[in-house]
Amino acid sequence: MIVADHLNKHFKIYETKKGLMGSMTSLFSAKHQVVKAVNEISFKIEEGEFVGYIGPNGAGKSTTIKMLSGILHPTAGYVEVGGVSPQKRRKEVAKKIGIVFGQRTQLWWDLPLRDSFDILKEMYKVPDAKYQHFLKLYDDMLQIGNFMNTPVRKLSLGQRMRGDLAAAMIHDPDVLFLDEPTIGLDVNAKTSIRSFLKEMNEKEKKTILLTTHDMDDIEQLCSRVIVINHGQIVLDGTLTELRKNIGLPSVMEVQYRTKPEIGDMVMDGIEKMRWEEEKLVLQYDRSVLSSPSLLQEVTKWGEPIDIQMKEPDIEEVIRKIY
Amino acid sequence: MHLYLKLLSGSLRSRMQYKMNFLISSLSYALIMAVDFILLAAILQRFDDVKGWNLYEVGLLYGISSVAITLYRVFGVEIHNFERYMVEGEFDSLLIRPVSPLSLLLTKNLDLSRIGGTLQGVIILIISIIGLHEKSVDTFFLILYLPVSILSGVVICFSLGLLTATIAFWTQRIKDFQTFTLYAPFNAANYPMNIYPGWLKLIFFTVIPVGFMNYTPVLFLLNKGGDLWNLLLPPAVAFVFLFIAYRFWQFGIRHYHSTGS
Repeated sequence: MIVADHLNKHFKIYETKKGLMGSMTSLFSAKHQVVKAVNEISFKIEEGEFVGYIGPNGAGKSTTIKMLSGILHPTAGYVEVGGVSPQKRRKEVAKKIGIVFGQRTQLWWDLPLRDSFDILKEMYKVPDAKYQHFLKLYDDMLQIGNFMNTPVRKLSLGQRMRGDLAAAMIHDPDVLFLDEPTIGLDVNAKTSIRSFLKEMNEKEKKTILLTTHDMDDIEQLCSRVIVINHGQIVLDGTLTELRKNIGLPSVMEVQYRTKPEIGDMVMDGIEKMRWEEEKLVLQYDRSVLSSPSLLQEVTKWGEPIDIQMKEPDIEEVIRKIY
Repeated sequence: MHLYLKLLSGSLRSRMQYKMNFLISSLSYALIMAVDFILLAAILQRFDDVKGWNLYEVGLLYGISSVAITLYRVFGVEIHNFERYMVEGEFDSLLIRPVSPLSLLLTKNLDLSRIGGTLQGVIILIISIIGLHEKSVDTFFLILYLPVSILSGVVICFSLGLLTATIAFWTQRIKDFQTFTLYAPFNAANYPMNIYPGWLKLIFFTVIPVGFMNYTPVLFLLNKGGDLWNLLLPPAVAFVFLFIAYRFWQFGIRHYHSTGS
């Protein structure tokens, strides 16, 4: 469904100065740096796969997605989506894909949400019956009906993102590119979006490529994970393989009233333990040790006054791969 | 076609959400244009004629040029704002749709507050034609040709705007450069080309061909020289220029950099 073959995107970074002379000189200036945002990336994604595409900021995730969707032209290498090159036949590919950028809405900002759907229906030439069917389906799953007549700029982030998702899929695309769709959302909105995506993948057999900084997204949704760093693939495998490689370290921070007595017998699954000021910081592998059982354990050591759970961040995960 | 009307009506409705802003900007543009015109009239009153062109004849050039550029400002407002699409990576949104990014760009916004300028240009044209008529100049073919001249002017203006905007695919920033390729030349085209030194005239008839839109045809229509070719050249130049601009634009899109997210 999606093919990337020795894909490269290099950017020349010029010093851009302001003003007329600035733009003139930067146009002809030879002073530049070449940044390899994407460097020899190859992968193949089959129909119906749900792939997590992860890596630290600036690793090249968005650049890859932009090449797959035809926004950017690769410096070298080849891309194919549904058997078609998005660089050669961009409009054709545009009809097969749906794109959501978490950081930037694709909806018509000042118009009621309904109008965005209306315009998109026209743009993608969605037949009436099909349009009504999908609008109803997405409303059932994402509950967008309540704010259909609200201007997009007045929607909450969670509402807007649900609207964005539905809008990206109103033409029933085979492939979905999601660039951090859960960024900044609260737990409820995340849950609603996750279950929607899961269903779209399982029932409608949509092929989905998702970038995220949230390890929960990956764990709950993705059957396969591609990790990139500095523009190169460092791991491409199943979630189980990722786990085997790095575990999925969760973090628990416990503050005790008095200094706890920690037994010599450290539980299986606790990977690291250290003191950070007054807090005991525990890193543990959730696939081996569940959070409730760890909670039980730490209360045995002393009297906790505060317990905080933290999710591992991608940067931590990447560091572990090396 | 239906889609484009829909997109345009959407943009208009978005604009109307900010009514106060719309009123204020319409008013201030109208004021600027009025002051501009009063200045021109004052100068012409004083000098009577400019290198053999009287007030009404210059008014004709002025009218064509200002109607052309203000019409462009109404429809091409997002080309004028193109820098934003580069610097903020907003161009992404135009490239993910199964429609040409240029038509999406053009339907993104309409700047109706510039209509006042167009109206003012039309009034100047009417005054000038009446003035010429009273001096018993034959204005029949002149009036007939005006739409061609204005349309060629709009197309030349649009092509210049597009060519300049395309440079932003490489430089990101372009706003200052637009003044240089668009506004200065169109201001210059308010006056007869023969007042400019040779090198400047050369520019206005080659790389920035604003001379063709009004000076070339009016020269012939007012019996100041030239032949029938002067009437064919404006649309021909406009068409060729549009073609070049569009090809350059398509070439530029391949070099779009986007921004990091």
